[in-house]
Amino acid sequence: MGPVTRKRLLSVVALCAMIGLLLLPIVMALPSPAIGEDAPTADGVKKDDGEKVEKGRDVYYKTEGIVVGAPAPKTTDGPKDYPRYNFESRVLLWFANQQHLYYGSFVLAVPIFCMIIEFMGVVTKDKALAKRYDQLAYDFIKISLTAYSLTAILGGILIFTFLTLYPAFFGYLSSIFRPVMHIYALMFVAESGTLYIYYYGWDKMKEGFLKWIHLSMSVILNVIGTLLMFLANSWIGFMMSPAGVDEQGRYLGNIWHVIHTALWNPLNVHRILGNMAFGGGVVAAYAAYRFLASKTEEDRAHYDWMGYIAMALGVSFLIPLPFAGYWLMREVYAYRQQMGITLMGGLLAWLFIIQATMIGILFLSTNYYLWQAMGRMRGAEKYQRYIKYLVFLLACGFLVFITPHTMVMTPAELKAMGGQQHPVLGNYGVMSAKNGGINVIITTTVLSFVWYMRGNKVSTVSWAKFGNIFMGVFFACAYINIIWLAIYGYYIPANVRVGLSVPQVATTLSCLFFMFALNSVMMKGAKQMGAIEWGKISVRSQYALIMLATAFTWMMGLMGYIRSSVRLFWHVNEIMRDNSPWAYTHTVGFAANMISFNVLFFWISILFVFWLGSLAAKKAPVEAKAGVPGGVPQPAGSH
Amino acid sequence: MSALNNPVVAVIVSLIIAVGYFTFVDHYLMDMQGLDYWYLFRK
Repeated sequence: MGPVTRKRLLSVVALCAMIGLLLLPIVMALPSPAIGEDAPTADGVKKDDGEKVEKGRDVYYKTEGIVVGAPAPKTTDGPKDYPRYNFESRVLLWFANQQHLYYGSFVLAVPIFCMIIEFMGVVTKDKALAKRYDQLAYDFIKISLTAYSLTAILGGILIFTFLTLYPAFFGYLSSIFRPVMHIYALMFVAESGTLYIYYYGWDKMKEGFLKWIHLSMSVILNVIGTLLMFLANSWIGFMMSPAGVDEQGRYLGNIWHVIHTALWNPLNVHRILGNMAFGGGVVAAYAAYRFLASKTEEDRAHYDWMGYIAMALGVSFLIPLPFAGYWLMREVYAYRQQMGITLMGGLLAWLFIIQATMIGILFLSTNYYLWQAMGRMRGAEKYQRYIKYLVFLLACGFLVFITPHTMVMTPAELKAMGGQQHPVLGNYGVMSAKNGGINVIITTTVLSFVWYMRGNKVSTVSWAKFGNIFMGVFFACAYINIIWLAIYGYYIPANVRVGLSVPQVATTLSCLFFMFALNSVMMKGAKQMGAIEWGKISVRSQYALIMLATAFTWMMGLMGYIRSSVRLFWHVNEIMRDNSPWAYTHTVGFAANMISFNVLFFWISILFVFWLGSLAAKKAPVEAKAGVPGGVPQPAGSH
Repeated sequence: MSALNNPVVAVIVSLIIAVGYFTFVDHYLMDMQGLDYWYLFRK
């Protein structure tokens, strides 16, 4: 057997082993529905030995099932249920949970980017470009590998924090999820194994058939990662909107009901998009950091390109994120209207104003980066004079989007204003206006992207003039339609108004899909005014990338806090009450400080990860000579 | 195609397509939710 055939055989065996690892937890899970082994005989009431079988009614699915679990514990404030250090246990748990989530999101998102970029490298016909994509994908996975170990350590800390400070609650939750707890652990083993083979096998499987096997491994790696996240989401979904248990919290034997709660799917979609946007932001910040620290033009060019790709991938997931958030909120309202009101119009409403501000900052930073990035291509100057109009649109959309419905005021201020709502600005603090605001912001971001994509190109198609005019008219009509629908909402009843958000979103998405497609067709074979001069970008743009990543991190911390606090004094909503001394909602100020601390800690620790990465990169020149990934290639000649 | 490259014709054609498309989107997506897009005009 020749060495090539042996390599092929080994790689196929490795791939099969990964698929086996992926399927292993499912096979292991098969006996779990057989909790019914103790289940009753055909009459469903009595067992053979005459022992009475109790039935319960699912709190969400309203189906009947046989009680197979203990009721949710009724906890009391004391060392038995809530042992503690001389510190607020909830804050410790908050910290451990948030850090684990940050790193978990990062290591789930980066391999997805890696898979996309590696695929681009495989299908690109230009060999030099393919090599650059491959190098970039390798750079991405290298960063995530160090972070992966930290994720596992933080996961361990989180479990110990739960066991030490909330034993009763954790005991109950693990009793409910017992059939899938080990699946989670096994999936983690499968993820680790796949990741290490994928990373260390990079050089050995860099060409031909083996490269496809390597790419398939990244697909399996991401399937495992996504399933892991879905399982973790089922726990928080259960805590917010329990199902599969009766009103006393007794497990009814159907694990699918427990996992597939009312909020599980919206949470899955929202989290996967959020993780991707966050991962893109962190990698972009890494590239910005390396760009700023670069000593050579070559390095600057490489990291400028890397930052752009990471930002573009992150933003492509950021754009649909508000819509996924909207769906989640809609499902929250559908599940429990009171929960929705607590979130958007009650106790936590002010946090949503902060969230709106952060979303606005994200889009402003993205647009600013794109405008700065136009500076590195000849021909893009023609768009510079129009940027002020985009700034105007963004500023208007942003100001409307962050306007609160009511203000926190002193009695004197209240009297002076004549009520809680400002006579003019108060009109903008409603969903109709806010939906208009955010859609204007997103549409403007799409327009900035379109300008960037055609910055150094001139279309050569025969219908170029019509195409340009059509594009301009389509965007103008889209803006008019979004604003019209926002205004129209003021004149129709609430039950009709609520539906207007759907055509508003469709308008924005139409711009995204149709205009990107039209632009791509028009730019096919376009005349280039000059190559993109990677590395010739202002330093300010790199700070915009760091700003983008920091805003993502802060917003993620904020949204996690909002989602968790909406349960108020419940561990598991309406099933298990939180009787610890910390079953109250923190003030906005305290929450903001805590989120900032978490963000700061994450960034300090991730800088350590970056530094570790740079230690490995210092060895690169030797490896580069040997043709091993790790060297610094020249970036792509196009986007 | 040359007629379409005339700016006036291009603007008119583009306006017809864009306005028609967005009106259709507004009407159809409201209708899909069981809501009446033309509510205010009918009342």
